[in-house]
Amino acid sequence: MQVKIVIGTISFMLTMMILGFVALQEPARLERFTAARQGRQIEQGAHLYDSQCATCHGVNGDATECYDAATGERIGCQGLPLNYKPMLCGDRTARMVALGWDGTKHGFVAATIAVGRFGTAMPAWAQEYGGPLRPDEVEDLVQFVLNWETEELCAQPDFVFEWPATIEELLVAFPEGDAARGEGLYTTYGCSGCHGNLTDPASAAVGPWQGNLPEVAATRVEGLSAAQYVYESILYPNNYVVADCPNGPCTVPSSMPNNFPLRMGDSPERPQDLIDIMTYLGVLPLP
Amino acid sequence: MATFYDQVKEMGIKQAALAKADEVVERITAGMNIGDIRAALRGDEPRRPNPRLRPHADSFWLHIRPSFYHTEVTHIYPTFRLGWLSTFMFVWETITGIILMVFYTPSPLVAYSNMWNILSNVPLGQLIRNMHRIGAEAMVLVVAMHMLRTFITGSYKKPRQFTWATGMILLVLTLMLSFSGYLLPWDQLAYWALTVFISGAEAAPAPAVVNQNILLILQGAPSLGADGLLRWYLLHVLLLPLLLAIFFFVHYYKVVLYGISLPPGREEIGEDTAKRVPKDERTYFIPDILTNELMWSGLATLFLVAGAMWLWDAPLETHADPIVTPLHVVAPWYLSWSQGWLKLADKTLVVGFIPALLVAFIVMPYFEVGKSRRYADRRVGLSVSFLFMAFMLVSNWMGTPEYRVASSPDREVGIKVLPEEGPSLMYALPYDQVLKGRFLPGQEIRGNEAMTAALASLKKAVLAHSCVLDRSVGNPNIPTIKASEWTQCRVRELQSGDKVYDAGFTRDVMPNPYVELQIEEIQPRLLRLTLVFQVKEPDNPEEYRINTTWTAFRHADSNYEDECRFINKSSKCR
Repeated sequence: MQVKIVIGTISFMLTMMILGFVALQEPARLERFTAARQGRQIEQGAHLYDSQCATCHGVNGDATECYDAATGERIGCQGLPLNYKPMLCGDRTARMVALGWDGTKHGFVAATIAVGRFGTAMPAWAQEYGGPLRPDEVEDLVQFVLNWETEELCAQPDFVFEWPATIEELLVAFPEGDAARGEGLYTTYGCSGCHGNLTDPASAAVGPWQGNLPEVAATRVEGLSAAQYVYESILYPNNYVVADCPNGPCTVPSSMPNNFPLRMGDSPERPQDLIDIMTYLGVLPLP
Repeated sequence: MATFYDQVKEMGIKQAALAKADEVVERITAGMNIGDIRAALRGDEPRRPNPRLRPHADSFWLHIRPSFYHTEVTHIYPTFRLGWLSTFMFVWETITGIILMVFYTPSPLVAYSNMWNILSNVPLGQLIRNMHRIGAEAMVLVVAMHMLRTFITGSYKKPRQFTWATGMILLVLTLMLSFSGYLLPWDQLAYWALTVFISGAEAAPAPAVVNQNILLILQGAPSLGADGLLRWYLLHVLLLPLLLAIFFFVHYYKVVLYGISLPPGREEIGEDTAKRVPKDERTYFIPDILTNELMWSGLATLFLVAGAMWLWDAPLETHADPIVTPLHVVAPWYLSWSQGWLKLADKTLVVGFIPALLVAFIVMPYFEVGKSRRYADRRVGLSVSFLFMAFMLVSNWMGTPEYRVASSPDREVGIKVLPEEGPSLMYALPYDQVLKGRFLPGQEIRGNEAMTAALASLKKAVLAHSCVLDRSVGNPNIPTIKASEWTQCRVRELQSGDKVYDAGFTRDVMPNPYVELQIEEIQPRLLRLTLVFQVKEPDNPEEYRINTTWTAFRHADSNYEDECRFINKSSKCR
């Protein structure tokens, strides 16, 4: 019996020593697991982003590379860039200021994903509001989107290009266009995904074919030159929506992305892209 | 009755206090004063009348324990302490379970984040959760072994038939308790194991309307959801423990009534001497059995705490998703046999057979009335039981995905190297050693052992699901693997005219595959890992048999390294 008491006592003491050992390591472990929780949310968010969001916001979140989910073909990005300073940087981001959001950044992103944004192509994603995502999935996505914020991104100088009202004013700063570069950009910005190439009218799947643009654009709106019409139509697709699209009447509001003022104006040199594309389309230089 | 004040006046303060303490202790122990306890601990003979018997008569806790056992049953053999350990495990699970309950809400909205809260925000939370988990699995094992031991020593025979019957019910309750706890974390593992398992109710040999309603009651809705979780939670924390406690006390009382049966060889055939023990062969509960049980409790506690620390990590997969079924859904190991049976036979047959088997076990002692408990006289019964055990082991293996549920070979490689759930070598690599770029299986990265090991594990997985058309040439698509390491393809033509390529025992593998691993950093500290599989049709190189990708993400902080420390997960990290 004495032996048993000794064995029992020793096991009890060893147990207590293990507990003490564990307790000493707990603060560090809790920290690791807190980080792990967030890391795994970001991993899940990445899966969701790939399957649900990349079609409109681009595979890298900068709204430059978008692919049709069904066909895998490159299309124009409908969404705003997310991997983008005004969206991410600061406790109160430029985007939150612009929309008058007074809550937290986390809440802003979560609310935008959950309920969508009225009047844009962004639908409601949370099941609560008729979308497909559970609350935990919305949270995973929020963690993923916010993870794009880096010191490097936020150190970029603030820049928003002020687009002049007319193409003539823009041409003062950017007088020369490069048609060859414009051809490449026509694909990069996703134009060809909907409007097809310039040689085959049948290649335009969603938006009107652009091969005959110089003739058509000149007569579309009375009082507007071809160049001014195209200039406005790219930057503000809803200003003028044509009646017929390849797959029936064109939708109103236009299904063309309306984020080109941002995408073509995020640096002092970027508006050159618009000039090059318009040159490629044949509406520049001005007659 | 003299008051304490009177006593002080009579004996002085010191004597009076001692007498009072003695009295209090005697009340608490229901019969033993301080001197009696000291004598018991010293191993002295008890005074007359024996105060050590009084707690058995007067106290609640000891009245369901016998005051003495036959000395023959107090050694390791024949009981192996399995009954006591089963009880210990139940108490252990209750205590750890109550602590976990404090941090848990049975709602699909928060149950999963509760789990992460326990892991990341509750001091000792992971340890408690692991203790509850290892305790649950150990309890299943201990209870099953207790039943096995009872069968082998023939202790179910008269007069202990009913003890055996309650024991069978306790075994089933233990399995159900363990399994009902499975759902509570509300992760993919929980959701799909439960969904698959209770869908068995639909196949029971009863009218469809009965089956459907039973399933509806078990799920709380057409599929598991908030109501289902609440029901399984209440089963787990309320109904099943209550039932278990009831049968536990019946079971224990029968032990008081009949004692523990002697080793079969130690008594005459047909005799039962457990309750007619000569004075010199008695071992009294106080102090010997009690000390023994406390020692075993101490050892079991040590094992479970150390096990929760180093051996057994409770899994926590991603959030339950009713839409996405994981590639391989497996039952826990103690129910794997039923999954194996489902692969062999018709579902209705299996679902009907399990309760029939249970009833057969419960009533068995009333039909198996052979008088002798000796091994030599029970050759048929023991042989059948060993065959049954072997059958259960094979069934358990058949329940694993290794048996007859191979998916396409590229998905099998994908799930081994970059699993949808749980750790793997690739996820557990130190983040700063992971290189970005494109890599071939088996490629050696000089000066980077971690990456080399990861690519070697990819090579192993690829080799297990591939073959080469010509072994002397090898696979020109993956030059990093030597020709001799590949397996020669065996071609099998299906009735449809399609060809299937086999290698060794593995059916449908990839002939001359091209596999590459792409690693890119898509966000700060977030990697996208993509496995690219391209297998051309050997007869028609223009066409792809397989042209797929398998993608996973890995964050620097995801901490799969911690999971790989535990032996129940380490095999996935090799």
